[in-house]
Amino acid sequence: MAGIADFLDSLIGGFDLICFCLLIGGLFWGLFLLKPWQTEHGYNDALLQKTIQLIYKGGFWLAAAQVFKVILKIWLMTAILDRWPFPEFAETTQFIGGNIRAGLTLLLASYCYIYLRKNPFSKQVWIIAGLVALPMIISGAWLVHAAGRFDNRVTLMGLTVIHQLAAAAWVGGVLQLVNLWFLRRNQLVPVGLWPLLLHRFSKFGIVSVLIILISGLPIALQYINTWNGFIGTGYGNLLMVKIVLMGIALAFAWLNRSAVFAQRASGDSVALNTRVPHYIEAESSILVALLFTAASLASQPPAIDIPNLTASWQEVANAFHPRIPRTSSPTHEDLLAGEAGRVAIIDQVPSPAATAWSDYNHNISGIFLTVMSLFAMLSYLRLSPTSIWASDKLLVLKNYWPIGFVGLGVFLFFRSDAESWPLGPLGFWESTFNNGEILQHRIATLLVFTLGVLEIRARMLSNLNTRLPYVFPILAAFGGLMLLTHSHVGFQAKSAFLIQVGHTFMGVLALILACGRWLELNLDKPGKDIAGFISAAAMFQIGLILMFYREPLY
Amino acid sequence: MKSLILFMLINLSTAWVSNALAHAVVTEYSLKVTPIHAHQEDKVEIFFNSKIELGLSQIFLVRKGDKHDLLHAENGKKQGQVLVHIPALDAGEYALRFKVFAADGHLTEDVIRFSVSP
Repeated sequence: MAGIADFLDSLIGGFDLICFCLLIGGLFWGLFLLKPWQTEHGYNDALLQKTIQLIYKGGFWLAAAQVFKVILKIWLMTAILDRWPFPEFAETTQFIGGNIRAGLTLLLASYCYIYLRKNPFSKQVWIIAGLVALPMIISGAWLVHAAGRFDNRVTLMGLTVIHQLAAAAWVGGVLQLVNLWFLRRNQLVPVGLWPLLLHRFSKFGIVSVLIILISGLPIALQYINTWNGFIGTGYGNLLMVKIVLMGIALAFAWLNRSAVFAQRASGDSVALNTRVPHYIEAESSILVALLFTAASLASQPPAIDIPNLTASWQEVANAFHPRIPRTSSPTHEDLLAGEAGRVAIIDQVPSPAATAWSDYNHNISGIFLTVMSLFAMLSYLRLSPTSIWASDKLLVLKNYWPIGFVGLGVFLFFRSDAESWPLGPLGFWESTFNNGEILQHRIATLLVFTLGVLEIRARMLSNLNTRLPYVFPILAAFGGLMLLTHSHVGFQAKSAFLIQVGHTFMGVLALILACGRWLELNLDKPGKDIAGFISAAAMFQIGLILMFYREPLY
Repeated sequence: MKSLILFMLINLSTAWVSNALAHAVVTEYSLKVTPIHAHQEDKVEIFFNSKIELGLSQIFLVRKGDKHDLLHAENGKKQGQVLVHIPALDAGEYALRFKVFAADGHLTEDVIRFSVSP
């Protein structure tokens, strides 16, 4: 069961950050944007109760996550060290700090539940809630990456807390905007609140992002001291992913801001009510992915500490270099024959068969995706009646390209983990629950297969009110999150990174694919078609990366 | 729709895998410059980039056939320094395998391979 504890430990990091954003970001929202004591804006009980509910629920979940984190550490240590970790664990910063933070979070959530919920319009109660939050925020400093550092420890701990606070203000605010839109759509709040709070948040968001950058830059410079460290390590790679995701989220923020100012200038609310809500939904999904990436980043050794294990930019570029895909696989017997030497510690022998097996899996998957995405992209190029889509046969193919996902799922089921069932000697349950990597592959296979079945069904339905088409972007986003944390466990940091780098970029592209499809389903023309084409193009890029994939020999 | 989303969230929660290569890493070790000689006990100095909770860490000597022996280790006087006691060994190929718990809460595994000269 160590595999489950291991991946839950990583999952809980992202979940913890989301709850932190709901709690602290929600308090920022109330104190600096909503200001419920200013009753002239027509705030009502529905708005305040829902806003405060998000805050205290985030708090209770955060306290639970914190306790669960400590339990997971105990579980993980018992499994890895093969003994009960007490009394030593009780003396560690992680145990003491974790429990203190859980207690302080519980206190804050309880205050919000007991007092803020009952006095939502009281300025004094909101300020006290903010003050009660301070010790909890400060206590988090002992649980961050910097707590274990030797150099500039206090400065780094402080900067990390400020970085987290600014991120909470931004993400928490966006989540409150999603909440506000749901209330607005159900006509539970006055119409004027939506543009008013969007306008207020656009200024607040800019300040939050600036603080994120100002606090994040010195942290990055402290942990990454060369360009190679930025390009050629897992830490640098995930930081790059964070920057890319932040860029995408900012692009959505800019679209929202433009719509707000256009509405203020012309009074035209169409964009504000038809497009902006969906931009915010897409932005929030990107920000959630960003939080999970941030949690994953904390488990990587800083680039500055591993100069000898850093890949050069030429090695990174080679990972994406176009080449002829491998279309023949080594036999299963050849693969298993090399496994004992590959995983040995003493007398380790790299296995060319294992590398070729993996290359084949990735390259064939790439061919599947490239072909599917080509059909998907062509479906947007219906320029004239004489175009190729005038042919009925091709028109049919346009709707059925997701069947490739079904084929890909079957292919991955047999090929992903050759050492386990159905091809290898390890049993299904034994391999699935004892190895986090195999578990992830199994779930990815299930996701791909399900995605294909549901998307074909969605495209065949004539009922326009069905929600089935939304499954595709949701599953694709989950797939993207999985890729962002994909790990091939090994002691060779450089080889592991060269495998990781392609997967993380595919993760970003999968999120673009998901957001594009989500917007295609929700926007009007021409944004709808643009988003759909970007989505298909992102899938094409994933296909190319997979098709040219070459695993380092290790 | 709600049950579908719940199903997918459960999927996601069982689909995560952490990076085994976590925060604490070996930055320097004495074996690079001072080899171990056969049939004599020795101490190996290892430097980590992070504070290590030694009471919750294990360092093994790995022999041919990947047989593991738990070694005694203690904190050194320098920052991040750990001293590992190596028993008298025959000439051959060996490795030190670590399972260390860093002060930032991450468990890390790592391997250093080395030879014992006659």
